[in-house]
Amino acid sequence: MQFEVLAKCHTTRARVSRMRLAHGVTMLPTFMPVATQAAIKGLTPQQVEALGINLILNNTYHLNLRPGIQVLKEAGGAHKFQGWTHNLLTDSGGFQLVSLSKFTKITEEGALFASPFDGSPTMLTPEESISIQHTIGADIIMQLDDVVSSLTVGPRVEEAMWRTIRWLDRCIEFHQSSGKDDVQNLFAIVQGGLDAELRDKCLDEMIARKDKVAGYAIGGLSGGEEKDVFWRVIKQCADKLPEDRPRYSMGIGFAEDLLVCVALGVDMADCVFPTRTARFGVALTFKGPLNLRLGKHATDMRPIEEGCPCPTCTSGMTRALLNHTATLETAAAHAITQHNLVFQARVMGGAREAIINGTFPQYLKDFFANYFGDVGYPEWCVSALRSVGVDLLEGRPESKTVSGDGAKWEYSDAA
Amino acid sequence: MAASPLFTLSVSSGKFGPRTGTLSINRNDGTPAIRTPTPALLTTTSRGVIPHLSRDSVRITDAIQHIHLPFESFLDRNPPVLTLVGGSHPLHQFLGYETNKHVITLTLRDPSDRRKMPTNGNDFVSAQCTRGVRKVSPSAWKTYVQKCKPDLVVALSDTPFTPPPHSQKRLTKSIERSISWLADFLRAPADHSASRPANVLVHLVGGAEPHARAEFADRLTEPIEQNAATGLSPLNMLDDGVAGYVFDLLHLHTALAAEGGRAIEPTGPVDELLKVSDSQRSSADSSARLAELLQASLDPLSTQKPRFVNSPVSPHEILRLVRDVGIDLVDGFWAQRAADIGVAFDFRFPVPPEPGTVSTDCPPPRTRESGRIDLGHNLFDSRYRHDHSRLSSSFSDGHSAEQSGQDDLPVCPCGACSPRSPAFHLLHSSVDVQAWQDLQRPVPSSLLQPPFVRSYIHHLLHTHEMSSHSLLAMHNLTVLSAFLDGIRGVLARDSPKGELDKEIGRFEQMYDEKMVLWDEAATMWLTVEHARGKGRLAREREKQAVTTVGAAVET
Repeated sequence: MQFEVLAKCHTTRARVSRMRLAHGVTMLPTFMPVATQAAIKGLTPQQVEALGINLILNNTYHLNLRPGIQVLKEAGGAHKFQGWTHNLLTDSGGFQLVSLSKFTKITEEGALFASPFDGSPTMLTPEESISIQHTIGADIIMQLDDVVSSLTVGPRVEEAMWRTIRWLDRCIEFHQSSGKDDVQNLFAIVQGGLDAELRDKCLDEMIARKDKVAGYAIGGLSGGEEKDVFWRVIKQCADKLPEDRPRYSMGIGFAEDLLVCVALGVDMADCVFPTRTARFGVALTFKGPLNLRLGKHATDMRPIEEGCPCPTCTSGMTRALLNHTATLETAAAHAITQHNLVFQARVMGGAREAIINGTFPQYLKDFFANYFGDVGYPEWCVSALRSVGVDLLEGRPESKTVSGDGAKWEYSDAA
Repeated sequence: MAASPLFTLSVSSGKFGPRTGTLSINRNDGTPAIRTPTPALLTTTSRGVIPHLSRDSVRITDAIQHIHLPFESFLDRNPPVLTLVGGSHPLHQFLGYETNKHVITLTLRDPSDRRKMPTNGNDFVSAQCTRGVRKVSPSAWKTYVQKCKPDLVVALSDTPFTPPPHSQKRLTKSIERSISWLADFLRAPADHSASRPANVLVHLVGGAEPHARAEFADRLTEPIEQNAATGLSPLNMLDDGVAGYVFDLLHLHTALAAEGGRAIEPTGPVDELLKVSDSQRSSADSSARLAELLQASLDPLSTQKPRFVNSPVSPHEILRLVRDVGIDLVDGFWAQRAADIGVAFDFRFPVPPEPGTVSTDCPPPRTRESGRIDLGHNLFDSRYRHDHSRLSSSFSDGHSAEQSGQDDLPVCPCGACSPRSPAFHLLHSSVDVQAWQDLQRPVPSSLLQPPFVRSYIHHLLHTHEMSSHSLLAMHNLTVLSAFLDGIRGVLARDSPKGELDKEIGRFEQMYDEKMVLWDEAATMWLTVEHARGKGRLAREREKQAVTTVGAAVET
């Protein structure tokens, strides 16, 4: 991997970088759409590429079950199997083991789980995870980590943190001896729950292994923790992680979360949110999400968002037609998915542009005023951005703030 | 400006012989004329859109030119949103079809929907939308059509949607109503506020009774009586105001099956997700019966008007109706439905000289006990798990054709077999060019990418990924379009009728018409649909409660 920081924000910790991997260059900060089963739901890889996206994510856990390693080997790896010629990242499968199977048991050896096929006990070790990811052939691969819910408290959190470090060592060892470390790049995952002290220890240990890892992910978040805690953990990690390594915040997808993370120094993020919400008929806009199933859109002849360059909006697709087809026709899911992925890309592309131009603080202010001006700013965003020198409320004495998550949502009145 | 004819025949033989022609849409409004060689494909829509295809996928699928648009789903709002669009091409504009490429035929009901419906009345047709059944009167239909400005429109007719068989009395009523509604539809208002609708197609009704069908056709060609002529001048007979004829085969298939007390017995699985059409099969016998019925209708009518056929169930049936009736447009419902249930087409007309021998790297479809091969591949089948070849053995893919320079097989130009990298990428910041114009990566000499392969679509089907159906829909429509192109090619030979007969014989010998393939695919599709489709979480929870296996519930 070649990683080069091209520009830094003069106020916040945000930066623009160029990351060269085996399948080309990806400009950071960026959002990575999730192709769990080797497909961005509803779209062909050519359609995804046309949106200006060149880094997507596959899930190791799922691909290991289907189509299975043998098929991927025969096909020449996941890139060829799905027809994706650009960069690809795979997770390690640890998160899915915990979130999808309530019978997973973590041992020092690895994660013991019941095979979804026949229920037989199956072990996923750090070495096995890396080996599977080698076969998949992603440009960025993730260490197997011991994932605990971010709501977990007590000694289990510390145990998981130390085990994650030990498993990182096993992943590094296996990866380096495989000879694949020149084309595939291993990322470490910082754990430690919501406990600042544990996070700090984890950061120290992982930074000590910097020469053996290509980048760092911040894990163990986005599990329902309070947003005010979430951003502090991100900040703590991003502040301490080395300058010359990309920083990846796992499971982040709301626009406001993305921009706060970027301001705190994060380079990459992934989430199923924009694609999943599209299938439920929700389109993302710079004025907030639109629930296209609501009756109020039924005769609205406007596009989802004026000026949006996505294939859906430029084709003249109206909110009215999407109201007619959303959740009933797969083609509506495709159309909204294309739009939502472009929305995510525009939020991040706008950030890159602003960072280069030295206008990122203003970009943040404009974005939040547009997005939250009518309903009130999430308090946590205001606090998080104040911590890096941007005051969203500056010059806006009339603006409200709201506590809690403050996520903006248009609730459904549709049956 | 002289009105150019909608339809011209180039090759024809007798009233019912096979024929080729050109359907021309000249809107005389600045949009380019669209000419389609016939026999041609009519692509079906659901809620106004082609199932599984986003607009960019529609655009790259050249097989899609004629679009069949049932109106009824839009009845869920009053007034229907399609009537609120305005402009000169409201349907194209609202639904994203291109005025220089796509021809839209508007009809009230979806001809592939054979659910039982409440009866029609003397002045309304019962139609289906998500909010239930709506009554549509002939005058309402006329208003909708005036506002929607379709290229072609099907007049309302009274087709009974109660289970067959239908009594003599019911068929008489159907004829009376259909004739009266057609006359109303063709009637120009006394105040000249609107002109007579152009390009009007009419369903030839009469059910499975040849004499009733003949009766309806006779009524179309009777001189219009003086007392009924108001608003119909200068038409001498109703047929003068009709531009073409429509047959709904699904309706006839069910009526024929019900004849003599034969219930329609599904050959394959039974499930609420399946449609009536899924169990329809054709045979030489059923085609002969259909031909008899279609001929009874067409006998007294002009041979110069295009004949539209909805919901044929096999290419065999299409071939026989081309040969024995002289049909001109067929809808692609069958091909599109195949894409729903995981079938990738792999057939050609005329059949390849020595099928299966040309390309050994790409296995042909299965051979059945009859010695005939399947019309395609049921990609749900585990035999495709390790099959990394393109979809069709009877077509090449753009990438290999380009690489090898060989042309022993025609190329399937669909988005699944010949995908192309986009020529342009959206740029989201000024530095993005560094990613897309990467000097360290070789510039590819062609945008053509390797084809999507069977193992990948097998995987997508089993993981309930929507793009499986998108790829199959593009492919199947393209193969069906090539099939119709093949028919036109044979009809361009010397002594077309004899040649067509010979080629149909070869086709019948080659491809399995019983479609075991279809039943197998439908069964596997249902299994995955129940395991992963709507309502799966509730089912999984139930399952988890009774088992100790850690079932993966992904949301």
